[in-house]
Amino acid sequence: MSLASALTEKAFAERRRPDWEALGALGAKAQKGGIKKLEPADVVRVSPLYRSVCADLATAQAARYSAPLVDYLLGLTAAAHGMMYGPHAKRDDEKRKGSMRRAWLVAFPRAVRARKREMLLAAALFFIPFTLGALLTLRDPTFAFRVVPEAMLRPLTEAYSKGFDGGRETGEGALMAGFYVYNNVGIALRCFACGIFLGLGSAFYLVQNGLSIGAVLGYVASQGAGGNIGLFIIGHGSLELGAIVLAGGAGLSIGWSIVAPGDLPRVTSLQRRAREILVIVAGASVMLVMAAAIEGFWSASAAPQAVKLAVGGTLFVLLSAYILFAGRGPEKGEQGEP
Amino acid sequence: MVEAPLDTDVAIETPEHIVFHYRIAGPARRAVGHVLDLIFCYGLVAVLVAIVVLATVGGAIDKGDVIAAAKAGIGIIMVALFAAQWVYFLVWEATLGRSPGKMAVGVRVVTTSGRPIGWRAAALRNLLRAADLLPVGYITGLVSMTLSSKFQRLGDLVAGTMVVAPEQPRAAKALELSPPAEPRELATLPEHVSLDADERVAIELFLRRRQALSVAREAELAEMIASKIGKRIGYTHPSPARLLALVYDRAVNAGRNEAPPSSFRPRAGGTR
Repeated sequence: MSLASALTEKAFAERRRPDWEALGALGAKAQKGGIKKLEPADVVRVSPLYRSVCADLATAQAARYSAPLVDYLLGLTAAAHGMMYGPHAKRDDEKRKGSMRRAWLVAFPRAVRARKREMLLAAALFFIPFTLGALLTLRDPTFAFRVVPEAMLRPLTEAYSKGFDGGRETGEGALMAGFYVYNNVGIALRCFACGIFLGLGSAFYLVQNGLSIGAVLGYVASQGAGGNIGLFIIGHGSLELGAIVLAGGAGLSIGWSIVAPGDLPRVTSLQRRAREILVIVAGASVMLVMAAAIEGFWSASAAPQAVKLAVGGTLFVLLSAYILFAGRGPEKGEQGEP
Repeated sequence: MVEAPLDTDVAIETPEHIVFHYRIAGPARRAVGHVLDLIFCYGLVAVLVAIVVLATVGGAIDKGDVIAAAKAGIGIIMVALFAAQWVYFLVWEATLGRSPGKMAVGVRVVTTSGRPIGWRAAALRNLLRAADLLPVGYITGLVSMTLSSKFQRLGDLVAGTMVVAPEQPRAAKALELSPPAEPRELATLPEHVSLDADERVAIELFLRRRQALSVAREAELAEMIASKIGKRIGYTHPSPARLLALVYDRAVNAGRNEAPPSSFRPRAGGTR
């Protein structure tokens, strides 16, 4: 190999080192929070420095300089690459599309409607066992013990048969709301995540939750406190059960994207679907947090029956209308203006 | 390294047509990082619990309603437990690309195309954690990592991410011949010495760690290759380590601009 024109490694490194160190220093500065944290004067320098260090790397490789030097330059370019092509390097129109407001007003309900089939299947997987569990338990209350431990059912029944005249003790509302966030949002997220097992995990969670909630309802009703538990559930039920179904449907959807990837490789199909579906999971989580607040502070309160019914009904109608109709029609700027 | 990447490396080509390699972090390293994260995260929760207990006890003395305060406190702790499970990793990885445990073991999360991850990817890979840790102790994730070429657990596959152990860029000085060569040593050294890539790397690594070796060990290691190379180019030297240094210097610097005098001088009038 005739490399007569190349510099020795030492001379090369001595000449170019100021630039390398400058880029390294900028990279260290931008480590936290990316390129946004840099001064404008520094930002201007990043791109030319990065390009010239890329050229140095190519030179070092072609001239067969020693491995540590090449590794050093590789590390430098890799760090700068991360800085230049990170998620903060988005264009403005991409940012607009990803805004929070749009996500809630348009993207979430649209994403749900786009996956109508999975959502309907999830609803069936949840509500059919739910109905079955309730009916079977009404016919024979001991059926509930097969699904939910008896030790849990009895105190529950006692609690509901007391009614809500006293409301909740102080502090109880916060306790229950915290518990519902921990438990219910956790269930919904797990229900989504287990959809990766070809949707079977989601289906399992949906059926299991449907059956046990149905059985609890049926059992409490069979012990004569049906009106009370119904009144309890109506406040938050549409949000809570709806969110479980949405999360389950999202799980079924990612499972199905592996089973039937269409023209794409399975992994690609899975990744694309997961990105589309994520907004549904986020939406379902927010719904559940809202439900937890209502369930903790409102559902067991001493408010009159008629008010509870009205609030529950209104929430149900609003939620259905939101999911079914929000974000229909073209978006501003989406349909090409002349 | 330029040639033959190890199988735990991933090559990334940038828009500038620079190819660099990331070393993928294996399950053991990630497990250590995860345990550190758990300790840190639940340590924070424990601190919160302590604060809640103190506040409850302290506040209750005036108002006399310990039970109500305790119940509200438990509610707050429940929310913290939820955050520990589902939010902790998401926030760290989406903002800094690494959680404290990952920082401690020197790994970070990047997309499979080598870019930093954003909120979406961070959310997906940490949601899928719930599937990866099934049935117990991340067995599913481990199986997935074993089957994947990039040590990806299910969450990584879904989010299109991988966990890498980036080298810390540190400048290394170019190797120099010291002490400078004496004319006597150079007299019989051929003008052209060619070493293949493996030999170059081997000699270079040896010369770089030479200072850390005892004299006897240095000679012993150098001898393994020095006599072979000496025989091939027809050059002998009493010290095998010195022979390698001289041969390396000539092979690498000969004919280059600004070469030290110990190397073969740049060709006359040649190339500047």
